[in-house]
Amino acid sequence: MKLHKETRDIQHRLGDYCKTGREVSLPGVTEGRIKHYRRLVYNVVKNSMDQAYPIASSALGTVLWDELVNDFFSNHAPRSTQIWKLPHEFYEYHYSKNTATKLKRAWLNDLLWFEWAEIEVHTMPDRDVLPYNEEGDSLVDPLILNPEHEILQLEFPVHKQSLVDIESHRGEYYVLLYREPETGRVRFIDLSVLHAFILMKVNEEGIPLNEFKGEIASIASIESEKYLDDYLRDFMGNLMEKKMVLGFAVS
Amino acid sequence: MKGKVGIGLRRDIANEIIDSEPIRPDFIEFAPENWMGIGGYWNRIREKAVSKYPVTCHGLSLSLGSPEELDWDFVSELKAFLDENQVQIYSEHLSYTKSKNAHLYDLLPIPFRKDAVDHVSERIMRVQEALGRRIAIENVSYYTPVAAEMSETDFICSIVEKSDCRLLLDVNNVYVNAFNHGYDARSFIDNMPLDRVEYIHMAGHEKVEKDLIIDTHGRPIIDPVYDLFEYTIDRMEPVPVLLERDYNFEDLESISAELDHLRDLIRKKWGVVHEAAQGNA
Repeated sequence: MKLHKETRDIQHRLGDYCKTGREVSLPGVTEGRIKHYRRLVYNVVKNSMDQAYPIASSALGTVLWDELVNDFFSNHAPRSTQIWKLPHEFYEYHYSKNTATKLKRAWLNDLLWFEWAEIEVHTMPDRDVLPYNEEGDSLVDPLILNPEHEILQLEFPVHKQSLVDIESHRGEYYVLLYREPETGRVRFIDLSVLHAFILMKVNEEGIPLNEFKGEIASIASIESEKYLDDYLRDFMGNLMEKKMVLGFAVS
Repeated sequence: MKGKVGIGLRRDIANEIIDSEPIRPDFIEFAPENWMGIGGYWNRIREKAVSKYPVTCHGLSLSLGSPEELDWDFVSELKAFLDENQVQIYSEHLSYTKSKNAHLYDLLPIPFRKDAVDHVSERIMRVQEALGRRIAIENVSYYTPVAAEMSETDFICSIVEKSDCRLLLDVNNVYVNAFNHGYDARSFIDNMPLDRVEYIHMAGHEKVEKDLIIDTHGRPIIDPVYDLFEYTIDRMEPVPVLLERDYNFEDLESISAELDHLRDLIRKKWGVVHEAAQGNA
């Protein structure tokens, strides 16, 4: 290490000041100027969080939101070289610190996760897609899903209703987020437990719906096979129109 | 690209750059960190821009001045990205953006000290070896020196010399620093190793106090910075020149006019012809 301990310590003290805003004494600085570094650094981080979490920041209000950002940046060492990924670290930090419980906002984890997932799906690298045909039978042929998607399991329906009174709706909710191939826009669809099960099964196992139709019928308590077939064809047809299902695997 | 005029590829103006309407640069620059590992819409935009224009990259997160070890995984990803995009010039800031292994996402001033010269120079050499190319380091704007034991010019010159790297001369930063710290900008330019300059940056700034300018890249270049630019290029061989604009994109015609003004000055001093300005980009 060519850097002397004294120089290293000075650099660290300036870095600590920028993270925490706690006053620091540094040699050879111009009076009144150091504060601009804290302001500039903090503004970059704050803007990143404001843009990533417009709903959460608005719901918590300016003062509380600023406390959360300040707590995060003061006590967490950001790892990402790319600032657009920093909001994920913010979500992880407050999840691990149990902030939602401390603030008595049980829905906060779900909301941060949902808002982050929108960014992640929008920005994630393009994933490979297996060859597919646009014509096929959605019960018989393996389905090819849009690979740029995520299914979130939530405790609160933060994706479909206002936060007022949301805590009385604690339950099991699923939301599908996917990226439209042509526009790159992120769309989200509220999923029932049954729909989430079907999509996760197709995604993970790549098998035709016919091969696990029995499980579907059991979960949905559907006895009529014709009704079930029509139901599944409608569901998948709708997802094809929305470009969440791209087509049918080439055999 | 020598004597050519480029602009930073920002998302707000990406389509106007790709369509060459109304912004017609000769080349583009972007920060690798803003585009690496990204898919979807913005990845397609990057691909279009790269297929149309020569590319330079200006890094944000390498943190050449940090006390801690370099992030070699990042350097490896960076190398792949620079190769994939056929990046002609890669530059970074002579500053640090990481402290105690925490990224801070802005440029902090390195103490102008001999041990820091040795430390940073060694890191630049190691990065150059890993990337398989010389890099250019940028003189950054700073708002206070910290624990300095030598002048800024000696600090920069020593590092360029010792590490055998190139210099990205940010003329606006020279102006900003000269104003903020009360030195003569032209003398500063005279003391720079102009034969090692690979690239020039030009930008606007913002005066926030009577004795303090912040380097914001959000406003048009002011005349004294153009004057300093003319003074500078009169003393050196042609290199690429970039207009940095990070926000305030409402008036694209005026940004286009800034590019044209830079071209006029370059034509006058260096005699370089700009096809892009004539609609042939």
